[in-house]
Amino acid sequence: MSVDKSGVRQTTWWKKKDVKQTALIWIILTPILGYFSTEVQVRSMGAPASEIMASTINLMRIFTWTAAPVASLVFAMAGTILLSKSFYGNTPPPEVEVGYTNSPRANALWVVVSAVLCLFALVVGMVAVQRDSATLTDATAMEIKVTGQQWVWSYDYTDGSGVRSEVLYLPVNKPVVFHVTSVDVKHSFWIVQMGIKIDANPGYITETAVTPNKIGVFDVRCAELCGLLHAYMQNKVHVVSQADYDAWIKAQAKLEAATA
Amino acid sequence: MTTTLNRPAASSHSAPKRALIERLNIFTALALGVISAVVIWRLALQFLPQDSEEAIFFNREDKITLLSMIAWFIGFMTGIGALIGPFRWLMGKDLSHDENMFYAGKDMGVKRYFRYTTDHKVVGIQYLVVTVVLFFIGGVLAMLIRTNLGNPEGGWIHPQAYNAIVGTHGIIMIVATIIMITGPFGNFIMPIMIGARDMAFPRLNALSLWLVVAAAAPILWGLAIGGIATGWTAYNPLASQAPLGQNGYIMFICIFAISTMVAGANITTTVIRMRAKGMTWNRTPIFIYGVVASVALALPAFPVFFLSQIMSAMDRAVGTSFYDARHGGSGWLYENLFWLMGHPEVYVILLPAVAALMEMAPVFTRNPLFSFNIAVMGIAGISGLSALVWAHHMYMSGWAPLLNIPFMLTTELISIPTGMLFLVLIGTLWRGRLWVTMPMASVFALLWNFMIGGVTGIYLSDIPADAFLHGSMYVTAHFHYTLMGAGLTGAIASLVYWFPKMTGRIFDAKLSWISFWMVQIGFQIAFMGMFIVGLAGQPRRVEGYAETFNTGNMVTTGGAYLIMSGMLVLLYALIYSWRNGEKASTNPWHSKTLEWTVANPIPLENFDVLPTLTTDAYGYGKEIR
Repeated sequence: MSVDKSGVRQTTWWKKKDVKQTALIWIILTPILGYFSTEVQVRSMGAPASEIMASTINLMRIFTWTAAPVASLVFAMAGTILLSKSFYGNTPPPEVEVGYTNSPRANALWVVVSAVLCLFALVVGMVAVQRDSATLTDATAMEIKVTGQQWVWSYDYTDGSGVRSEVLYLPVNKPVVFHVTSVDVKHSFWIVQMGIKIDANPGYITETAVTPNKIGVFDVRCAELCGLLHAYMQNKVHVVSQADYDAWIKAQAKLEAATA
Repeated sequence: MTTTLNRPAASSHSAPKRALIERLNIFTALALGVISAVVIWRLALQFLPQDSEEAIFFNREDKITLLSMIAWFIGFMTGIGALIGPFRWLMGKDLSHDENMFYAGKDMGVKRYFRYTTDHKVVGIQYLVVTVVLFFIGGVLAMLIRTNLGNPEGGWIHPQAYNAIVGTHGIIMIVATIIMITGPFGNFIMPIMIGARDMAFPRLNALSLWLVVAAAAPILWGLAIGGIATGWTAYNPLASQAPLGQNGYIMFICIFAISTMVAGANITTTVIRMRAKGMTWNRTPIFIYGVVASVALALPAFPVFFLSQIMSAMDRAVGTSFYDARHGGSGWLYENLFWLMGHPEVYVILLPAVAALMEMAPVFTRNPLFSFNIAVMGIAGISGLSALVWAHHMYMSGWAPLLNIPFMLTTELISIPTGMLFLVLIGTLWRGRLWVTMPMASVFALLWNFMIGGVTGIYLSDIPADAFLHGSMYVTAHFHYTLMGAGLTGAIASLVYWFPKMTGRIFDAKLSWISFWMVQIGFQIAFMGMFIVGLAGQPRRVEGYAETFNTGNMVTTGGAYLIMSGMLVLLYALIYSWRNGEKASTNPWHSKTLEWTVANPIPLENFDVLPTLTTDAYGYGKEIR
């Protein structure tokens, strides 16, 4: 017990009933909210097909667990207020006995905590950006020119084979740099399960890079409205073993020589 | 001289008999607008030269369409009487006092709602009606979108029509949400709340309203000639090859931008110059700060938007190449111009809504506003930072990869002032005495929705996460949570809260509760489903999608129908309460702001004696500092 300036005996703030109630709800709500929001999001994103996607999923996990206590605190306070005595009817309840118009401590704490969280998010993001962009400068990477055109993607293999394909084949575990452009309007080149995306701009070349680490068939979709059949501007990327890839590119090259 | 300053003791007025200004109203405006458009269309068809070889798309048709739309605009504004004041002033024969009184709608009955009336209360009601109509059109379009997406193969709307519907839904809703608070409540309530007799520039006030009405026509006209097949962003070069309906978008934005600038200058001046005696900045209600921040942000933002569309129109109609990479232009230029407007614009929508709920929270908890200074700082911080974050919409555009990290920094910094708004709201509710009403529930709905919208915004601001989420349905769900979950919730609460002052009747409580729950529950269902399909990889603005997204889309469509049903209940409640609602007393909520001190119905110039303030409006309970 302490006595405030006006001489009223006051319970210490953390012993007050509503504070305890808030703390209780907060402690219960945080893990529930954190767990469910993380699981729902991560499961929806599916299995990653590259290191970048795995790190993006991880990032979603970190951010959600960071946000969960903050959101839970606001919801816990809101819940405590909702559980307190409410008044119904056409006339308002009497005014509160003491109106708190300010609390410098609460203000300072709130601003400092949000600034720290903001800084944390920034640092986590910057680390991930650095890691993801390492592939772009990888000297061993193979290079593919991607061209968007209403409403198909085409891929030019610039490794000397001269292959041009409308289906993307990639060898597993080999870094690849995409040089992306467009011949008409803006498109956006998105390999969903690999977590990379870059716009295809007419007249300019943009770059993105990834190392697929899983054999399988994945989705390429256009992520920028590009006219009539935007929804259907998608095809598949086949990630195969190096041997299968070599066989495919040889067959493609032969096919192209035959039709040329 | 404005009408607000010339007040003769006894007003025995009679307007000049059937003078021109008395004959003009919305019907003459529509007639003159349509006639001008048809005449110019015929003339242009006759005399414009055929396209030269270089014209890639339909330049001549674009010129004809744009000219007709400009003719509509000039015809409509002339027909409504917007030019009489300036013209008379130019002739050296300014409006007489009686004419000004006529303009203010003195003793005009219901007719004043159909003409160029300068009384801010009439303009507020007109804005309310325009907002409701725009929401209705946008809502019907949203239902068409969701119905079409009930089926993975696209269903029954042709892709071209589907794209047109998506774009039109987007831009109509954006404009409706921009005006939904500053229009009806900023005009009707704000001057009374600061103790003024009218706005600083009453004629500009009427002008801003009728410009919105004039602007609405080209977009509906555009829908008939191919629509806006580019989404509300109207990215170039897609926009330069889009059908003729794109000209409707261009004209819509140009006219609406003028309206916003006019309204912004007017509201800002009013608040700075015309607050009641004793209403220092520390005693100015927080809602006023929200409205001023909103229009002050729009002031620099909308000229940029205006310019971007003029350039777009020139690319289409006269063969310039501002955005055409083949001839030295760049699509990135458009993106920069667009988002220089586009990001401040989301706070133009959000800030007044949050500020309105901050205004209501003390009333419904009988508790003072917590940390007024932090609230002001939060609003100011968001406004300032919002001008520095535009390129986070362009992380994946490839425009300037080196700038991504600085833009990530500024974007994430916005979470600090946004957190301040949460602190103020939760601090105001804390230990209050909860008076359970629909506006009170809206404060809680805002805390929930804006938390989800805000946190997902932080994911999107992070570059690697954005590389996955950009352009997906996740983004669509995110901004619906902020603009609709937070913004529209605040606007509907404002409607219920200020309805007794605006109409003299109580908004039907039971119906408002039914609508509240239907809309809020439907909203959670619809947009949670949308988050999930976005995370699973469904791009936005698609007309068909992979089979795996079917369940999520069905859920969203179901939720959307619930929202629409709730909105129809609200519309019914609005009309019903306006006609048959219970008569309201002067201050039904026992609030302490100035607008509740004037009698119902509010006299023409609000106050007989201008009020003087000695305290702020939040003096609930015994104050402890």
